[in-house]
Amino acid sequence: MARVYQVPRHAMLWMMLAVILAGLPHVITGPAWLGGLLVGAVLWRWLIHRGRLRMPRRAVRLALLGAMVGGIFYHFGTLFGPTAGVSLLVGAFALKLLELFRLRDAYVVIVLGYFVLATTFLHQRGALAALYVLVVLAVVTAALIGINQPESGGRARDHIKLAGVMLLQSLPLTVLLFLIMPRIAPLWSMEADESRARTGMSDSMAPGEVSDLSQSDELAFRVTFEDEAPPRAQRYWRGMTYTRFDGRRWRQGGLGESWRTRDLFFPGRGSPPQWWEQWRDQRARPTYTYQVVMEPSRRRWLYALAVPFSETEDVGVARDFRLLREKEIDSTFAYRVTSYPEMPRDYRLTERQRQRNLQLPAGFNPRTRARAEQWRSDAATDQAYIQRILDWLGREQFYYTLQPPELGRNTVDEFLFDTRRGFCEHYASALTFMLRAVDIPARVVAGYHGGEANPLGDHLRVRQRDAHAWVEAWLPGQGWVRFDPTAAVAPSRIEYGLDRALEEQGSQGAGGVLDNLDQLPLILQMGYLSDYVEFAWYKWVLGYDQGARLELLTDWLGKVNPVRVGLALTAGLVIIVLPLAAWILLQRRAPGLSVWQREYWRMLDLLRGEGMRVHPGVAPRDLVERVARRNPSAAEALQTWSRDYERLVYGPHPGDRAAQQRLRRERRVVRRALRRR
Amino acid sequence: MRARLRQWYARWLRRRIPPAQRVALDRRRIFIFPTGYGFLFLAIAAMLFIGGINYENNLIMAFSFLLTSLFVMAIFHTYRNLSGVVLRAGGQEPGFAGGRGSLEVVVDAGDRRWHRSLWLRWPGGHQRELSVGPGEEISTLLDLPLPRRGRVDPNRLRIHSRYPLGLLRAWSLVDLDHRCLAWPRPLPGGACPASGGSTDQGQRNADAGSDDFRGLRAYVRGDSLRLVDWKAYARGQGLNTKLFSDPVEGRRWLDWDQLPELAPEYRLQRLAWWVLELDRQNTAYGLLLPGVVLDPGQGPNHRRAILEALALYGLGEGD
Repeated sequence: MARVYQVPRHAMLWMMLAVILAGLPHVITGPAWLGGLLVGAVLWRWLIHRGRLRMPRRAVRLALLGAMVGGIFYHFGTLFGPTAGVSLLVGAFALKLLELFRLRDAYVVIVLGYFVLATTFLHQRGALAALYVLVVLAVVTAALIGINQPESGGRARDHIKLAGVMLLQSLPLTVLLFLIMPRIAPLWSMEADESRARTGMSDSMAPGEVSDLSQSDELAFRVTFEDEAPPRAQRYWRGMTYTRFDGRRWRQGGLGESWRTRDLFFPGRGSPPQWWEQWRDQRARPTYTYQVVMEPSRRRWLYALAVPFSETEDVGVARDFRLLREKEIDSTFAYRVTSYPEMPRDYRLTERQRQRNLQLPAGFNPRTRARAEQWRSDAATDQAYIQRILDWLGREQFYYTLQPPELGRNTVDEFLFDTRRGFCEHYASALTFMLRAVDIPARVVAGYHGGEANPLGDHLRVRQRDAHAWVEAWLPGQGWVRFDPTAAVAPSRIEYGLDRALEEQGSQGAGGVLDNLDQLPLILQMGYLSDYVEFAWYKWVLGYDQGARLELLTDWLGKVNPVRVGLALTAGLVIIVLPLAAWILLQRRAPGLSVWQREYWRMLDLLRGEGMRVHPGVAPRDLVERVARRNPSAAEALQTWSRDYERLVYGPHPGDRAAQQRLRRERRVVRRALRRR
Repeated sequence: MRARLRQWYARWLRRRIPPAQRVALDRRRIFIFPTGYGFLFLAIAAMLFIGGINYENNLIMAFSFLLTSLFVMAIFHTYRNLSGVVLRAGGQEPGFAGGRGSLEVVVDAGDRRWHRSLWLRWPGGHQRELSVGPGEEISTLLDLPLPRRGRVDPNRLRIHSRYPLGLLRAWSLVDLDHRCLAWPRPLPGGACPASGGSTDQGQRNADAGSDDFRGLRAYVRGDSLRLVDWKAYARGQGLNTKLFSDPVEGRRWLDWDQLPELAPEYRLQRLAWWVLELDRQNTAYGLLLPGVVLDPGQGPNHRRAILEALALYGLGEGD
């Protein structure tokens, strides 16, 4: 039987805590029995420590290891890949506790602890998770300090204190490295979870689909404006345009290869097409510059105000004034946009564009067609015609509701003349149909509208419930003009948002009474706060990528090149590490010394500096004797100092500041006398 | 080549840390280097960095930076733990050549901070671990091998510490100008190489003899415990030492010249053995070496004086 290495008693608590706390997050994601293994191993080790049990034999340990590996394989079907691998690691971590024979084994447990702790971030990326990891890191480090102090004088709480101090001292350098170290592209590709579903606006739209999406409180994206944000009514976040209609469903039209080459442009790649150059020349004030941080949607579409220009890498612009990304957005993605809302859009339409935006399937919605043709012939201009439709929508008994009735074959007819209850997609679809029916080029635009300001973070949150659809019509001399039929039916939807609109229309929101809970001031505040933390966390930690790094470094250094980055890193190291080193190395007093004790120590330092061997505990008057043998004149000065010192420290009157200063002066006299010799 | 390198190193070390009875560890005297565990720790940090890149996971990357920074801070903490320690040469516990002796080292905190988990040893000796608190001093006896008789130079004291994280090892090699006395290794056997030195009769009035009980006097430190009147002590009369007057014929002189058949070194060893033997028998004895005369006596102090004379004989270290 091998001799059991005794983890020092003062380190034991931290060791056990480290194993449990580091393993805990993985118990949540891994198989549940891993938790049992963790607790069991810790308990077993504890009993060994207390002398109640013996260290398990080699055969037992091997059996446990085999069972653990088998269990992991049974649970995941594999031993490889991040999730199974991490579970394996946690299991080995727990079992290693039963194999502590030497100090080296304890070291191995701790290193595994650091590793297991780091892998927490494979699944948890929130600010809270990071805080948790930091705390556990302190515990693991405390265990490491504990096993490095074998003598029995160590105290458990000293370990955690020192670990905490060391971690705090490490933070500035960590931040510097984090900000400056280059982000290299992945060395080899690794796939994380593939299972997440697509969310948000889809590539096509049929009646009832946007209203479904509006039941969700989930975040779609966050926006930070550099200056002022446009008023709520103007915040139309365009994502897609639907041009193709089959009588029921609106889809994006023509996204084929020719669209790719002709109507899509990635700034910075190749020479810009003519239409984009035109846009660039037509840019006009006002402008809005903002950053959008988008939640993963697993689609390519990006959302922006019209007319968007973006220089973020991988972000392209399409000819229908919207942005999209090269790849699907499968993790949080940030991009910067400058929008020119007043800029004219397409004074002229090509014949191809015109045809595409006039397409209607034959044989659908005869009643609507008849109404459209009649009204257009009554109206003097296209505008007057459109206005008449909008007025009609507002005046008649149309309802804005999340629960529209189902529609049959002629969706527009049935909606406009029978049910008259619909959500934004119904109105947008009907208006576009009526425009196309009389040869006005029109399209449905899908995206989000509005967004709720978070007063803490100075940013807007746009949620799935803000999903919206509206209409753009092309008018000669004006280009594309936005019309929002929903605004005609439920103006408060545009002015105040979905909840207010639904309330006014007399129908409840998605859930019921509980929905209003989040309007309570305190809960609202908490919501803002957590949203703010989450946003800042994303912006500065999770989303700090090569682009953000370059932006920051450009701000700091003017230009980013390896030499400057190297210099900045060196300068930062010097600025951060030197003061910390000085703090650690030069901090000379033990905590808790009084002013008088410090004065005494300074005198000792002074005498030692002159080569005298004096030990703490020598009474001040004895110091005089010692000095007298070497230097009588200094002894005289020291006599004065020691008399005053003893009177102040031991006398009836506690010394004040003036007394302290007098002592200091007298000490200086001693120093001069000593040096004179 | 190796020998020259070692010589050069020893000279360099001697210049850098000159021998002194009192050495304060500071910048010039402390060396620091990562331990194997420290390298493993850095390797883990590097692995996490690569993992962070591959999973495009900023948090794992930040974690690796934090570990790296922790390592950097550990450099200062490890160095700090050793710096400021003052080492002083203390007393000694002599031993026989071929065995082990001990030298006392006083570890003084030197400043107002804790110096934890310091490991000290002489080359070839066992190491001891200790911690000194602010303003504290701890003295410790460290053993060392004694290869030959005389005053043995223990070489440089090794002091090192891996506290707090074990990632780095700070160490120093200190020459405390300390010597450990090695008595000749006792060589058993032979007839007692003693001459009955009747010539010195009357010259000596030894305060402790062995044969004829003369009386009692109060115990003085250093008196042999075998001479204490334990019966009186048990009766509560305090510690007293029994005094004996030496019969003339009982005094023996251990004599160098009585061992002509042995080489000088073996003569010393044989004499050393007889010193122990006579001491065990409670016989008073003196020592006659060429140029050295130690009067007969008894007790541990006497024994030590005789052994020291044997240890230093002929080495030109008269003190």
